[in-house]
Amino acid sequence: MNWFDKLLDWFSGFTDQWEKHGVKFTLYTTIAILIGGMFELIPPFFLTKTAEPIQNVKPYNALELAGRDVYQKEGCNNCHTQMIRPFKWEVDRFDPQHSYGKDGYSKAGEYVYDHPFLWGSKRTGPDLAHESQIQPSAEWHKTHLINPRDTAKGSIMPAYPWLFEESATIDASKIADHMRGLQKVGVPYTEEDILSAPNLLAGKTAGDALIAYLLKLGRDTAELSKSLQ
Amino acid sequence: MSSLEQKYNDKIVKGFLISGLVWGVASMLVGVWIAFQMVYPELNFGPYFTFGRLRPLHTNAAIFGFALSIIFATGYHTVQRLCRVRIWSDKLAYLHLFLYNLTIIAAAITLPLGLNQSKEYAELEWPLDLSIVIWFVIFLINYFATIFTREEKQLYSAIWFYIASWVTIPILFIVNNLSIPVSWIKSYSVYSGVYDANIQWWYGHNAVAFVLTTPFLGLMYYYLPKHIKQPIYSHRLSIIHFWSLIFLYIWAGPHHLLYSPLPDWLQTTGMVFSIMLWMPSWGGMLNGFLTLTQAKEKIKTDATLKMLLVGLTFYGMSTFEGPLLSIRAVSGLGHNTDWIIGHVHGGTLGWVGMMSFAVIYYLVPRLWNTNLFSERLANVHFWVATLGILLYIVSMWVSGISEGSMWRAIDETGALKFPNWVQITETLKPYRLFRGIGGGLYFIGLIIMIYNVVRTIMNSGSGFKEIDLRIGSKEEKVV
Repeated sequence: MNWFDKLLDWFSGFTDQWEKHGVKFTLYTTIAILIGGMFELIPPFFLTKTAEPIQNVKPYNALELAGRDVYQKEGCNNCHTQMIRPFKWEVDRFDPQHSYGKDGYSKAGEYVYDHPFLWGSKRTGPDLAHESQIQPSAEWHKTHLINPRDTAKGSIMPAYPWLFEESATIDASKIADHMRGLQKVGVPYTEEDILSAPNLLAGKTAGDALIAYLLKLGRDTAELSKSLQ
Repeated sequence: MSSLEQKYNDKIVKGFLISGLVWGVASMLVGVWIAFQMVYPELNFGPYFTFGRLRPLHTNAAIFGFALSIIFATGYHTVQRLCRVRIWSDKLAYLHLFLYNLTIIAAAITLPLGLNQSKEYAELEWPLDLSIVIWFVIFLINYFATIFTREEKQLYSAIWFYIASWVTIPILFIVNNLSIPVSWIKSYSVYSGVYDANIQWWYGHNAVAFVLTTPFLGLMYYYLPKHIKQPIYSHRLSIIHFWSLIFLYIWAGPHHLLYSPLPDWLQTTGMVFSIMLWMPSWGGMLNGFLTLTQAKEKIKTDATLKMLLVGLTFYGMSTFEGPLLSIRAVSGLGHNTDWIIGHVHGGTLGWVGMMSFAVIYYLVPRLWNTNLFSERLANVHFWVATLGILLYIVSMWVSGISEGSMWRAIDETGALKFPNWVQITETLKPYRLFRGIGGGLYFIGLIIMIYNVVRTIMNSGSGFKEIDLRIGSKEEKVV
């Protein structure tokens, strides 16, 4: 281990000096952590290829966006993932109709309008990335949300009856503001999209919006792949 | 003692120690609660106390309420002693304590209300993020001013780890939390999709690194030698493992996104650096263990030392498990399962928790100038907590690996063997029940400690003989 000792001697020759000098020490520490950080964060921004928008993928409309807000508010992403990995067993489970052919796993282009991403890190309930292709019935979703045990006996999902109460009616002007905010970070909403909010949201509850969001998940790309087949 | 009291500000240490205990109870109580929600969904009292809203409350209270309080308490305690000066400004320190607790209280209110930005461990909405930046800057100014006015020339290794944490946390926090506010209670991340995921896990992984690892290594480097009255085993080992640890850790984030649409080269980079991390992590663990062996005859009788030993063991174990899980093939099985929950809690309950408890047992008698109310109760706490952790992680290992295996199981025709999701959920129920019981035991241990601490504080001022290691180590050395 002689060479290792020599290496250590050489290295501690520098660090001995830094340890007596607070500014130098702090500066070198910062540099040490910035190298890896910059390597990871900067290049992906220039690799447009990795997140090329899929032409068919459209931004969420006012109702779907309101539903996405509900999804975030209730923390659905703590139990449901939205990212299908490229394994046969995962594609078979979360894309049972093979709406995407053999490549039913998640692509970068599906997420370009997601601020923030909602992939989640724990799959206590099933993945929802292509939910519109697994369970297209709005009625089923409503029953499921009001009491998950009615549609899936043994489910451990919380019940969300209050999402459909009158007090959960959505305020259209708020959603319009949300769309304006998203415009600033690059979601291509048109003025028309924003003006359509009151119409789309009239009388809709948080639960209706959540269902609209769930039925948007995976819809655009599935339609694209059907049109190609 | 009285001259020490004048020289150092220990009130701020006491303040953060108590907030650590309070947030410890809050976070672990919620933790036990949501563990049982996973078995009994009736425990979701909607809308404010459903799993989806309580889970961020649990993690935020544990990481930013409990762990960060302990980090600030030990940070203020060690910096004054290692620099041999009083903290630069008492007023800024108290302001830090006040604003910090105000933020955590606000977090405890807003998270059950459903106000969150959906980024793991960065859930708080933008006004709270801003307040965090404000008190962190106040703290930074105070801490570095203390270092720059120090009387001790050499910066001891404990301080390196604290400094690395203080400079990295704000960078991670600010970059990841950049968002566009649309109202006082709602904002959207400026990043989208794959980029957002990349930045989130660069942050998420390094929150583990620079909130839950480096400050606790700093704490270990100070309190372990102090407690056993022996110097750290190897200064050169601490140099090499410090620099390699902080350099390598920051690269490891993408191992959270294996098999995702993130560019492949980035996933591979994350995986390779995660595996390399194994060496500096174990360097730190070995330095701790080798230091501890110098006082091995005390382990039988000393609960604080036992906690340090078990803490280091869990550090070694979860930093072995981490690189293992970052290997693509293993991630394929373990990702998204309860295994990850077990892995995380091996680190948090075992390493962060045990090290924190050890420090509390070390500090409380000294700060309140008395002896610990009951060493036996401390010992009971140690055993209850250790049993709790073991029950927790073993049940999560079984649950996670079963979960992953059932997801991927196919029959001879190539069809899914368990297409019904609820069937898998039902299979995992008993393990999840045991997890809840394990967590419950750990929580009971905490309550035992709090009783012990309260009784100790009630005796405050009865006299504790403090020996400064660097001055008194030669006379105190036990052969």
